[in-house]
Amino acid sequence: MSDLEDEYRRRFPAILVPLAEALEGHLKGTLQGEARIDRISARAKATDRFIAKANATEGGESKYTEPLREIQDQVGARIVTFYLSDVERIAAIIERYYRRVESRVVVPDSESEFGYFGRHYILLVPSDLMPSGDDKSLAPEFFELQIKTLFQHAWAEANHDLGYKPQSAVLSRDARRRIAYTSAQAWGADRMFNELFREFGENASVPSDGH
Amino acid sequence: MPIEHIHTYLVHPGKGAHEAPRIRGNTLSLDGKMFPLLNEIYVKSDHDCPIEISFNHREDGTQQNPCRDLIIAYLGEPNVAHGRHLAERLEKVTTHRSGLGLLFLLAGTEGRDHKVVISRFPADVGILAEESERALTVEFLERVFMKRATTYKAVAYQDASLKAGFWLGRAVDKQINSDMVQLSNYWIADFLDSDFRTTAAAGTKRLAVALRDAARKSGDVAVKSEIAAAVTLGPSLAGQRLTINEFSNRFGLSTGARDALAGEIKNPSLLDERFQFDAKEFAKQVPYRSIELNTGVILTADAAQFDKVVQQEVIDPREGKVRLSAEGKVMNDKLTKVK
Repeated sequence: MSDLEDEYRRRFPAILVPLAEALEGHLKGTLQGEARIDRISARAKATDRFIAKANATEGGESKYTEPLREIQDQVGARIVTFYLSDVERIAAIIERYYRRVESRVVVPDSESEFGYFGRHYILLVPSDLMPSGDDKSLAPEFFELQIKTLFQHAWAEANHDLGYKPQSAVLSRDARRRIAYTSAQAWGADRMFNELFREFGENASVPSDGH
Repeated sequence: MPIEHIHTYLVHPGKGAHEAPRIRGNTLSLDGKMFPLLNEIYVKSDHDCPIEISFNHREDGTQQNPCRDLIIAYLGEPNVAHGRHLAERLEKVTTHRSGLGLLFLLAGTEGRDHKVVISRFPADVGILAEESERALTVEFLERVFMKRATTYKAVAYQDASLKAGFWLGRAVDKQINSDMVQLSNYWIADFLDSDFRTTAAAGTKRLAVALRDAARKSGDVAVKSEIAAAVTLGPSLAGQRLTINEFSNRFGLSTGARDALAGEIKNPSLLDERFQFDAKEFAKQVPYRSIELNTGVILTADAAQFDKVVQQEVIDPREGKVRLSAEGKVMNDKLTKVK
């Protein structure tokens, strides 16, 4: 086991898991009463995923020279909403309560491509949630937040799952086209539902369950 | 570890100027007469710079900040040329109202961490008096730079990583609540391109929830009343930059009320964390104030308007009896299961 893996394994239960739990509660508190939120969740990045990311290369060089500092999604949170317009509404609330160092709308590179869509933030961990004492220096300063619609979330989850299948290392052109097709379907469904919601339901707000 | 590098620059007002004068800088020795003063600023920066700040990202949302880039470049190679870029940045945001300033960059290492303290001494005028056996001579001095409590500014950054770190810092700026927007934004917003670590809504919500819970949980009616009165006056602080402790000072809360409030804040250091008071958020968190009498009467009104719409008259101070009165048209009449 490398020193890095050893260190991450030590931080995982002691710092990252409790921080993810606290963060999930914090986000739920912030968005309490907001309509059309399907779920709010936060998790600590699993050790094998962290090590795999830390070992990533770019142009033959290691992508990260200080992975424990550079990898900013050691704690990641996700908010899944019903409609596209909800993403922007929730994003505006998040920006009022959390300090951000990065904010981007992730879309495929070209207008004729379909793939991953989502709203991503790198946010400062609220000072209320930072551990005290020696643990403070071990806790990440940032966390990643993704805000997605149900369709964007469903596509990303299935795509991620397929990406981890042993046979998926080299996808055929046809397989890539089929994946793009599912993304296009999800994109179209999001547009349609958003239009229908604007047409019929925007003023009839129903609070979400459980949050 | 002591300071390892000191660089200084004379920074003229240059905001809006077509052609700013070239900034002169110098390296200072680590053993001169000024060293003890600068070393004290460096060593005490944790205590003297209480305002937690973080850099803003670029307008397009990218994780990049021009001032942070300059600080990291300076720490990577602390020399006069790299430091001058920071001085030039300060010059571009310095107005004639802020005036001439002497900038010091103090860099060193603390264990694995790099540390830098950036400190600006404002220019002042002074009189030099020299006494000899026969006479006293006085001389008017311009360009005297003093660590004046009201206008002195500094910021400290400490981090192990020059690549991923240095997003958070601690600053001091006594002009932060100046009525002049230019002065209040000069150091943190304009020069450092930063903002408070805690947003206005988050800081105000933390305060409002703590006040609400402290009042609810306290068994002392006097403490409840004090907190309720502070909540009523709270909206007058709209836009002010303050800490929870300063809120308590502003409304003269007693030790009992302060303790009740502090008891609702998980980490005591958050009592001194600065944020901008957001009156809308405050009203959202504590919209109503209620008074309950031992006779079963409960009177509820908008928290910010309570003292205006409900009149209280003490009718028996020994018994603590009061008469409450309110005027208006009856809009509703409800029967409820809970208070």
